[in-house]
Amino acid sequence: MVLAERRRHTLLKSTLILLAALFLQVAIVSDLEAFGAVGDLLVLVTVAAALVDGADRGATFGFAAGLLYDLVLDTPFGLSALTYALVGYAVGLVAAAVGRSGGWWPVALAAAAGAAAMALYTGIGHLIGMPYPVGELPRIALVVAVWNAALIVPVRGLLRRAFGRREPDRVRLAAFVR
Amino acid sequence: MAIPRPSRSRTRLAVLVLASVTLVTVGLRDAPVVRDVREAASTVVGPVEGAADGITAPFRNAWHGITDYEELRDENERLRQQLAGQEDSEAGEIRRSDAEEQLAQLSAALDLPYAADVPTVAARVVSGPRSNFSHAVEIDKGTDDGVAVGMPVVTAAGLVGRISQASGSRSTVQLLIDPDFRVGVRLADRPELGTARGRGRGEPLTADTAIDLDVEIPEGTGLVTSGVDRSAYPPGIPVGEVTGTREGSGGLALDLIIEPLADIENLSYVSVMRWQPAE
Repeated sequence: MVLAERRRHTLLKSTLILLAALFLQVAIVSDLEAFGAVGDLLVLVTVAAALVDGADRGATFGFAAGLLYDLVLDTPFGLSALTYALVGYAVGLVAAAVGRSGGWWPVALAAAAGAAAMALYTGIGHLIGMPYPVGELPRIALVVAVWNAALIVPVRGLLRRAFGRREPDRVRLAAFVR
Repeated sequence: MAIPRPSRSRTRLAVLVLASVTLVTVGLRDAPVVRDVREAASTVVGPVEGAADGITAPFRNAWHGITDYEELRDENERLRQQLAGQEDSEAGEIRRSDAEEQLAQLSAALDLPYAADVPTVAARVVSGPRSNFSHAVEIDKGTDDGVAVGMPVVTAAGLVGRISQASGSRSTVQLLIDPDFRVGVRLADRPELGTARGRGRGEPLTADTAIDLDVEIPEGTGLVTSGVDRSAYPPGIPVGEVTGTREGSGGLALDLIIEPLADIENLSYVSVMRWQPAE
């Protein structure tokens, strides 16, 4: 009973965080262009969720975040959902393999994940017949990586509170590696 | 050692990936349900985006002040020089002629020579692309003003794109640089037709044509919409000018490389042509 209620709370909070990320993205971040590219809050919350709660949550969060983003874009529907789910899962796996959550690790991982997400998106785009210019990719990847690195620590803190986790669950991570 | 059982995590990933692949497949077929859902989402997000515009304007300006510093400094320098020049001559005279010049430009924007008999709706671009891979902008006119999906969007210079989504007071314009964008074109002085397609931000358009390989197409030749029977665009809208040619994929005809005439990166006002293809 208590467990079900807590689960409901987590679901509600996750939904609110995703919606907030979407609105902030389209209302603010998408207008803050630097070097011809903008940051991506949806991939940021995906990475944060994966860092806090592992590959499972990362994939789910990525799927939901990507799907929400796809709703307001004109790009192929479902492409962000697919990309971000894969990225969330991969970040969860890498975080578990590294087994450390302090220092510069999350920052570096978030930056790399942001860049990888953009590359993956472009790659899958090419597969389904949307030839996004590859020449633009380095700039886009760099800008998204910088945004991710700058914001990952506070966003991870926010998600940790939403998921009701005071400490990163080392026991679980360790079990996963074994 | 125990046999490792399949992790729940991997099952979930498989389900999510399958779900997204299904969505992509459905979306690529331009299913009406996807369009409806996206339209509904836009009616929710659009107003919030608009409301946030006013609040965030100072931050945005500060941001552009930082990121476009070089450009601003150059412009500042240019304006200073202009001002210095004005002090020498009769300032009033210059201001007057400047006003006349502006009036002429505005009239040119409103009076589209190639759309003489098509009614147009002037619209302001209220927000740029929403993601790094999006090639669409939002305008502040919608179905209430007679805008409908499929209508061509132009500036005085030429074609900008087409309306891809329209709600009551806002619509989305798919820009002609979108890799998914197609338009039938014709060289201004030749009979052959071709199809121009976008290739993403910062890239020129390409057009495959039926022009023989040995034909010399001079740089700067203009292209207009062909407007052949049942075309999605009326004939004669300027699209771009040829900046180069190359052998087409079949090796039989020329591909043209085209620079769009409209300034796609810096759109502020556009006109929607209230024109719809004949059924």
